[in-house]
Amino acid sequence: MALRPEEVSNIEDVIRGFEACGYVLDRSLATAVFLLVKLGKPLLIEGHAGVGKTEVAKTLAAYMSTDLIRLQCYEGLDSSSALYEWNYQKQLLAIKLQERADQTVEEKVRHIFGPEFLLERPLLRSIRADKAPVLLIDEVDRSDEAFEAFLLELLSDFQISIPELGTIRARRRPYVVLTSNGTRDLSDALRRRCLFHWIDYPDPEKEMKIVATRAPGAAPGLGTQVVEFVQAVRRMNLAKPPGVAETLDCVQALASLGKDRLDADTAVETLGCLAKSAEDSDKIRAEGIERILARQG
Amino acid sequence: MAFCRYARTRGLSIGVTETLGATEAVRAVPDRTLETFQFCLRTVLCSSKEQWDLFDDVFADFLRGVERQKPIGDEKKRDHRGPPTGARIQTQTGFWIAPGAKTSTADGDNETNAVSGASTEERLSTMDFSQVPPRDQAALEKLARRMLKRTSIRLARRFRISGRSGRLDVRRTIRRSIGRGGDPFDLSYRQQKRQQAKLVVLLDVSGSMNLYSLFLLQFMHALAKHFKKTDAFIFSTSLVDISRELRSNALPGAFEILSRRPAGWAAGTRIGESLRDFNRRYGRKSLSRDTFVIILSDGWDTGDPVALATELHAIKRRVKKLVWLNPLLGLHGYQPLTRGMAAALPYVDTFAPAHSLESLLALERHLR
Repeated sequence: MALRPEEVSNIEDVIRGFEACGYVLDRSLATAVFLLVKLGKPLLIEGHAGVGKTEVAKTLAAYMSTDLIRLQCYEGLDSSSALYEWNYQKQLLAIKLQERADQTVEEKVRHIFGPEFLLERPLLRSIRADKAPVLLIDEVDRSDEAFEAFLLELLSDFQISIPELGTIRARRRPYVVLTSNGTRDLSDALRRRCLFHWIDYPDPEKEMKIVATRAPGAAPGLGTQVVEFVQAVRRMNLAKPPGVAETLDCVQALASLGKDRLDADTAVETLGCLAKSAEDSDKIRAEGIERILARQG
Repeated sequence: MAFCRYARTRGLSIGVTETLGATEAVRAVPDRTLETFQFCLRTVLCSSKEQWDLFDDVFADFLRGVERQKPIGDEKKRDHRGPPTGARIQTQTGFWIAPGAKTSTADGDNETNAVSGASTEERLSTMDFSQVPPRDQAALEKLARRMLKRTSIRLARRFRISGRSGRLDVRRTIRRSIGRGGDPFDLSYRQQKRQQAKLVVLLDVSGSMNLYSLFLLQFMHALAKHFKKTDAFIFSTSLVDISRELRSNALPGAFEILSRRPAGWAAGTRIGESLRDFNRRYGRKSLSRDTFVIILSDGWDTGDPVALATELHAIKRRVKKLVWLNPLLGLHGYQPLTRGMAAALPYVDTFAPAHSLESLLALERHLR
């Protein structure tokens, strides 16, 4: 049964609920999520790659036990693939079948533009859903400005106009989560309509907690070591600093290799989990993996 | 409310809507700890990373202000001198909202700061790179990155929109009409598949260009992202291929590599020879009819102008457009009379200045 907004009564509920779903969140983000649920406003999450922006929406859906509808943005995304499209083939067939039928043109038109010829795309689906879903608009900065402007309309009124059918209002307001990586500046208009949260890299304690939650199979000492190693690597000014996702990858890789501690050799072997370009992995090597490890003591 | 008023003076953009939103948010939250209050306001009031970072400071200052000014605020209320919103407000939940009675002088100061901030940007964007005082360098670089990001987007969009034309493909239409008893019901269009342009940039890094090279390099880096393929070269007395370095994301790293390259960063110039070298080694591979070539140089040439002319002509014949950007063109009263420049001009499609950010941004006009 889906959780209703009224049933979420305080921030501790959110923190506990998310932790039960395997997501460690701090009080600040919990407040943001709480407000998203309570006020029904979209939440824009920004942060570095791999800090768990998308995961917030997924966990929220699990927590509220509702559906997650995901719209992955990309350049050139237009309303026909985000909102709705008519099923042209089916329409053509219907026309053909109706050719000899005894119907007026108006009736035919009404028929072929009926709901069964409408292909729902994520945004329309989120509005027509019976129980409020979580709508994740992922990497909104990748879409172009025209689409962003179009989103504005949807996010403020939660209604969509389809010329042939009229206006469709949301039965239940979806919980909207937008994520952005900052590949371009989002418009102020969009920002103003959203709650905002910046997720930074977690501090060691939080990251340790995340590792313990998400990779329970790993040896306890291993998690600590990897987290410390990653935190050191993050300070190294790489082109792509490793996020939490990379830490988890690394821990899981080591665990599946049967290691219970991180030493120089295994660190080199699993470097691919952390450094995502040749330049970065060279840089880490140049710094000296032994030295980084030794510094932790 | 009080905090909003205060925060506005500190550069957070907060309007009436935000203030209302903040009130609503604070009401929605059940627990009344200071921390929650802060998180709440931050989520509602901030809308970008910069504001996010600023917020905690502003909030801390605000609290300090509250403690210091509490008695004053109360006094004001008694005297009915302070504006009603600035006075102390107690919400029905017993939640404290503190007085925002900041002295007006402080507000005034902050405002002038904000104004001068905006005009700094304006000034920097038109200023000649060589005139930028060292203390403004960082600001200019930041501005450059932002503005360049914006231009390139516009560039990309323009390419796409102009590609939106189609011609009716009669053959396919008829073929498809067979299924409907010969009525050409759905029309097929043939669309010209638009090739994204390629770019070749040649940057002069000789001594005379010293003041500009670093900025122009940054410009090249920004530009490179928006072409299908970019080949980049730096030259002074000889030519060095830096395409690979430019493609890497880490620009500061790329700088280091550049300055270590043997091209003779900041030596004399032999443009003609460098171009000949380019034509021989890379010309066939890099140049084609859908390629833009940009040469960034001041045209001070110690080599043979005839050689320069020949090589430019060779390039021009093979490419879509040859653009020469000259930083000196921004100087008042400059005439392209140097031997090299005079020899080059007949072969150049566009001759434009490249001394300031604004002039670089104007480039998008030429790349079409």
